[in-house]
Amino acid sequence: MLMSDRLTGAVVATLGALSFAYGSQLPPVPGQQVGPSAFPMVIGVGLVLCGALIVLGVGRRLEEVAEADVALHTAPELLKPPPPWKAWLALLPPALVAFYALASEALGFLPTAAIMVATASSAFGARAKLVIPVAIIAPFVVNLIFLKLLRVPLPGGLLPFPW
Amino acid sequence: MMNTIVQAFGLVFQTDVLIAIFASAIYGLVVGSLPGLSATMATALLVPVTFYLSPIAAVATIITASAMAIFSGDIPGCLLRIPGTPASAAYTDEAYAMTRKGQAETALGICLWFSALGGIAGTLSLMVLAPVLAEFALSFSTYENFWLAMLGLMCATLVARSSPIKAIASMLLGLLITCIGIDNPGGVARFTLGSTDLLGGIEPIPALVGVFALAEVMRSITEREPPKLEHRRLGSILKGQWKLTKEYPVQQTRGNIIGIIIGVLPGAGADMAAWVSYAMAKRFSKTPEKFGTGHPEGLIEAGASNNASLASGWVPALLFGIPGDTITAIAIGVLYMKGLNPGPTLFSSQASSMYALYIIFILGNIIMIPLGIVMIRIASRVVSAPRSAVMPVILVFCAVGAFATAGNNLFAVWCVAVFGLVGFFMEKNGYPVAAMVLGIVMGTMVEQSFVTSLIKSDGSILPFFERPVASVLAAMTLAALLWPAFSWGLGKMRGGRAQAA
Amino acid sequence: MTDIISRRGVLKGAAAAGAAGLIAAPAIAQAKWPSRPVTMICPWGAGGGTDAVVRIIAGLLEKSLGQPFGVVNRTGGSGVVGHSAIATAAPDGYTLGIITSEIAMMHHQGLTQLTYQNYTSLAQMNDDAPGVHVKSDSPYKDIKALAEAIKAAPPGKFKASGTGQGGIWHLALVGWLQGMGLKPDHVAWVPSNGAAPAMQDLAAGGLDFNTCSVPEARAMIDAGKAKSLAIMADARMPQFKDVPTLKETLGIDITLGSWRGIGGPKNLPADITKLLGAELKKIYDSKDYKEFMDSRGLTMKYADGAAFEAFMADSDKKMGAFMKAAGLAKA
Repeated sequence: MLMSDRLTGAVVATLGALSFAYGSQLPPVPGQQVGPSAFPMVIGVGLVLCGALIVLGVGRRLEEVAEADVALHTAPELLKPPPPWKAWLALLPPALVAFYALASEALGFLPTAAIMVATASSAFGARAKLVIPVAIIAPFVVNLIFLKLLRVPLPGGLLPFPW
Repeated sequence: MMNTIVQAFGLVFQTDVLIAIFASAIYGLVVGSLPGLSATMATALLVPVTFYLSPIAAVATIITASAMAIFSGDIPGCLLRIPGTPASAAYTDEAYAMTRKGQAETALGICLWFSALGGIAGTLSLMVLAPVLAEFALSFSTYENFWLAMLGLMCATLVARSSPIKAIASMLLGLLITCIGIDNPGGVARFTLGSTDLLGGIEPIPALVGVFALAEVMRSITEREPPKLEHRRLGSILKGQWKLTKEYPVQQTRGNIIGIIIGVLPGAGADMAAWVSYAMAKRFSKTPEKFGTGHPEGLIEAGASNNASLASGWVPALLFGIPGDTITAIAIGVLYMKGLNPGPTLFSSQASSMYALYIIFILGNIIMIPLGIVMIRIASRVVSAPRSAVMPVILVFCAVGAFATAGNNLFAVWCVAVFGLVGFFMEKNGYPVAAMVLGIVMGTMVEQSFVTSLIKSDGSILPFFERPVASVLAAMTLAALLWPAFSWGLGKMRGGRAQAA
Repeated sequence: MTDIISRRGVLKGAAAAGAAGLIAAPAIAQAKWPSRPVTMICPWGAGGGTDAVVRIIAGLLEKSLGQPFGVVNRTGGSGVVGHSAIATAAPDGYTLGIITSEIAMMHHQGLTQLTYQNYTSLAQMNDDAPGVHVKSDSPYKDIKALAEAIKAAPPGKFKASGTGQGGIWHLALVGWLQGMGLKPDHVAWVPSNGAAPAMQDLAAGGLDFNTCSVPEARAMIDAGKAKSLAIMADARMPQFKDVPTLKETLGIDITLGSWRGIGGPKNLPADITKLLGAELKKIYDSKDYKEFMDSRGLTMKYADGAAFEAFMADSDKKMGAFMKAAGLAKA
């Protein structure tokens, strides 16, 4: 996931250029000297400049100092890089949130949340002894908090909250 | 006078009011500590409840719950690096660094103690200075707001520990995100790609939840389980706070004052107060290099500041019906609904109600301490619970909290997922996500105040510098802008001389 | 409701019954509306005027129908997001909402395809007229003086605000200027995020006048920081007897207000529509509602479902004409 400054800087600059291009297409508003195009264009210019500086490596030294500082305060075993396949696991949490967005209306909150918790918990390496009770209890408690304390009804779906 | 105060105490010390204060205190503590639910959300969700309460009890619930939620937003920030409210985002890294050093108790103690003190200072300002502060708030037109927003944005580079260029880039990305939608001065749809949901723009809360909470879950799933913090008998949480109070009187006072001033100004609230105060603490610190490594100074100033701003935010709300922040915007609605119509008459004809309000503020900030200690004790257990049980539950809160904040809109859940990815990649590559959150919080104010100012001045930029308050703020902004360059030049010169010698 | 069971409901019911069998299946429970909590969508933020109106109505509905009526603030996009959420909800009576005058405006701006025709209109509950407010130490003592000064000034010299670009109070200004025979942009419009910041800026000396409604300006007026010169309505308001109408002072007749009503998605079942219509009428006539509206300074106006729909159609046409004149409408 760690990418070179050249790459991220280029992405930032590209976003800036896109913002500038999009902004310049916006129509002016009668009676306003500075229309809706100005703000995206100014931001665009700023992003292009920042992107260029990042590509050139300006300010890199300060980051190294900061990283060294943080390393100083971290336990040594934490700094050992984990196996590379683990990096792909990072995509699981956003995927589960997306799953919630897709499935909660149809399935209902309780089943959706139970699936999310069970999957995530297993991915964290928990045993079934822990996964199953957490996946059953946690959604129930969360639903209780939202329904009773916050008075926000969550989607019922297949398995509505029993009371 | 004495009579009114006695009456006011009579109004507050009713069973229903006291129960309302106690219940809403617990409610605020719980809601504020849940990632994804902000203090504003806590307040908004109370509105239907206030329907069934007496006027004083109704206002009491709002006051107490919002103060508690702003404090308890610090708890998950400190323990898990997941700020509970945007007002905590400025100093989350600092508090979390203290936790990693095994000083979670001290960090939370600071948040609690200085929050309570800040809240009381804010209340005193409300009691004593309300009319003066109100006049000051009324001197703020869009020109002043523009400079204020610019000053807020300056904090991005000050707060970040890494490369200032990347901090500015992150902040600009945040500003770019606020361009989405039609809530801009021209009412023109920007970056909406034809979607109704994007027309509404990106709300700060789902973005905050994504870049902090979800990204943290993502990070922890890729990393090995950190070594358990040694389990100590929880020392007294308040131990040492008195020492800190004596050690950092300047920081604390400055935090209170800045919080009060920013709170009074319409359009700027606890979020901005925390940012500016944290940046100020760092700028004027004797040891700025310690910031971000678990140093109490910034926490003290910012923690005091955001709670102070909460109380002073009520000044324009009570006097003119103008909200100082999103919380008071909701409170104004409740005041009207309860027949306590804002206006100076509220201070004269309903003086006892006003004093009752002050008493509730003080009371709320006092009970914050014992209840906060209990809350911290309970919450600290989260750190010692297995990660594989805590993180999945936080994941569920990310999704469902955003859903509830956005008025049961699934679009917010998608936002969380996307911002989680964005935040994760940014953080991995040294782009501070806190700076992006700052950009999102401030963006609308910058553009709105700039565009409307130019309409009013027929395109001339002179009024930005001519009006008295605006000129002072402009000078401060320019100084803050030029200072790094100046000090860099100075350092260069000294360095050159040293080499020459 | 028994005769119109939606396909979705049947599916849900069958699935729930098949999957669990423990919980009363929704299909059976739908026998009498409302059998579960109802959501009321508010397109505007908590604490504002619209929010207050929908909350008092929801509270009173809850009292008489025995099920929770939860208000949900689906904000953003100048009301587009919330209005679209009401229109696209399942027409089963469990999602209703408050419809505001913006529904007659935003489709002219090309922001959405939605119009009043996408809703089942249930009842109009309120209609607020715009006013003309100046700073308390303003040189213009009455509306005539202000009107003369505006006429004499070069275009764009006077600045006014009250809401966003193309918002309801902007149209009120356009209507007034047209009534005086001036161009719509003779007074420059300064967009703001609602009436409260605009009133703040008026008091801070940044604006010449505001055209928001009287209740929105009330706190500032009470504080002695602003005063109302006129309201743009047919008659004076009972709560503000001293403020003259534009009609009686300048002979300009504009009736364009910010109205609110309760509606649901198109094709609500007939029996639910009938029941809700009757309930809303009861609420409108109740003491609770009247007291609330009076204390907030809001103007009461009622129309039943059919009349509300006709009113919205008329409003849609009028707003469209104003917006075209002001160059705010697309095409």
